[in-house]
Amino acid sequence: MKVEAKQEGSKLTLSVSGRIDTVTAPAFEAELKFGDATQVVLDLAEVPYMSSAGLRLLLTAHKTMLASGGELLIANVQPSVREVLDITGFSGILNLV
Amino acid sequence: MTFTLDKFLKFLPAAMFAMVCEFLMNLVDSAVCGHVLGEDALAAVNLMQPVLCLVEFLALLVGTGTSVLFAVESGRFDRRRASEYLTQGLWSALMVGGAALVALAVFREKAAEAFGVHGAVLEGVKEYWLWFLPCVVVEPVAFYLSCVCYADGDEKICILAYAVQLAANFAVSCALTMRLGIAGCAIGTAVGHILAISVLAFHFRKKTNSLRFAKHFSFADTLRICKCSMGEASSRLAQAALMLALNLYIVSRLGAEMLPVLAVVVAVLELAAVFDGVPRAMQPLASVYIGEKNDRLAMRILRYATAGSLATGILATVLLAVFPQIATAIVGMGDSALAAEAHKAVRIVSAGLAGTAVVALFNMYWTCLGKETLALALTAGAMLFAPLLLFPALGEMFGANGVWMAMALAPYAALGATAAFIAVKWGRKALPHFLSSERARKMRVYDTIVDEAAVCALSRKINRFLAVRRNLGGRKASIAALLAEETLLLVKDHNPGRRIRAEVTLDFSAKDTLYVTIRDDGEIFDITDADAKVSSLRSYLVSNLMENLPGRRNLTTTGFNRNAFKL
Repeated sequence: MKVEAKQEGSKLTLSVSGRIDTVTAPAFEAELKFGDATQVVLDLAEVPYMSSAGLRLLLTAHKTMLASGGELLIANVQPSVREVLDITGFSGILNLV
Repeated sequence: MTFTLDKFLKFLPAAMFAMVCEFLMNLVDSAVCGHVLGEDALAAVNLMQPVLCLVEFLALLVGTGTSVLFAVESGRFDRRRASEYLTQGLWSALMVGGAALVALAVFREKAAEAFGVHGAVLEGVKEYWLWFLPCVVVEPVAFYLSCVCYADGDEKICILAYAVQLAANFAVSCALTMRLGIAGCAIGTAVGHILAISVLAFHFRKKTNSLRFAKHFSFADTLRICKCSMGEASSRLAQAALMLALNLYIVSRLGAEMLPVLAVVVAVLELAAVFDGVPRAMQPLASVYIGEKNDRLAMRILRYATAGSLATGILATVLLAVFPQIATAIVGMGDSALAAEAHKAVRIVSAGLAGTAVVALFNMYWTCLGKETLALALTAGAMLFAPLLLFPALGEMFGANGVWMAMALAPYAALGATAAFIAVKWGRKALPHFLSSERARKMRVYDTIVDEAAVCALSRKINRFLAVRRNLGGRKASIAALLAEETLLLVKDHNPGRRIRAEVTLDFSAKDTLYVTIRDDGEIFDITDADAKVSSLRSYLVSNLMENLPGRRNLTTTGFNRNAFKL
């Protein structure tokens, strides 16, 4: 699992690649540092699989951004991950673009 | 270590212990009567052997079939039919026990006199028979309960019940025989059975108990149960018939002085019943795998059991070849010339023990598979027809040694004849398991310890295998991987601090459908319950996942959780 960060002003884009499961989630969590960004885009184009461990991090990140007045956008979600988000109702909570 | 091997090894000591206990139970009355009351009482108890064999036959006739059919229906996830067989098994035990009680009570006097003995021995037979009558009802019930508790995965309570039964039988027999005579032995046997029933009844109060009785009665089910048990049960009758024939042959051709040597050979053959422990350990697992059409795991358990049977058979052969004195010590042979003859006989007969063990195994396996007639033919061939054909011929050529050689060759001859019959009737591909290798190739089985790293590695393997090698597309591969990770880690959450094993089967033999079966040996709970209490994000995801998987099933089987999903 790898995360590449790209900062453009107050917008931070985090491009994630690889599976996000119980084992890889701690590494992903360590990369979820938003600094003073007010808009964070999580690009999941290269994430073929996500379990509840990944969902928990998405929800935490979403709440953190909301609390700081910013927003978290989830982009390029693969169908297999989208299904997990739909099944859990997370697609109605998170900002999917 | 696979999940299947772990469970097989868990069942094996209990099954072997049970068989040793059964062997010792048969010796208790003879030993106590012989030592406490003397030769007349011993002769009376030994004359009762056909009646004891008959009651044992009745117990096997009900117990084995019930546990096989219960496990096969559980394997099919048919909880209702499993409960119906369970209930009918109890009715059947009571019915056969009741019918035998009436018959043995009515014909007691006449049958005892038909033994052709008089005086103290005849009185001993009559008295023993009278006090043995309660055993006719309680023994089938006790054996039925031990079979179903075992099939439900509670091998510990079976060990305890057998230990209590043996200890109580011995203690009560010793105590009462001194005061009441031969009746004390029979009462000891009955008390042993009743205490075993009391111990086994505790299984129904356990949280892990999945045995549920139904409002059900069907004579057709009793017939199915009996048919399913015939292979194993008939071995007792075949052995009794063979002993009768051997006795007659030896007295007429070799002389009555060889009868003590035959008694030693009989002890070795009875000791071979301990080999039934391996098939009994295999039976609950094999029945479930056969029921759910999991050819891959059915082949796997048969492979383990075959190795176990051969190992125990070869071990017994080596042990008896090196120490034939074990067998002569059992019957207390003192004469040195006869003992030397008996040692030679034991060494020859022991060469057949590996074959006997394999016969017992395939008898059980084919019974589980629904090929009861084949199982019956193999048993009858090995234990009756092959010896009957071989021992007169070899006896004429080599004398007593020829008779013992015939006993050693018989199981191999029966196995060879049965294999030839199968090859002719069903083709060589059917040998020996009757399962489809092609179907097994369309299944994949993963074994894992339930911890984060191992489960995630398993989930990755499943995802890669299905997406790349089976080309099943992202969705199914991903959901199967997710199911494995989330359900197994939820199992871990339910079992803090415990080492849990799990087994995941992917069955892609059906077109466009993937079946995923997940087993674990943790605390019993229904993971497929979409309304289960949600206490974490993981349980929330699993709960929502279950709502979206209509083809999901759960059934606790042989003491472990089993969940099946259709994707």
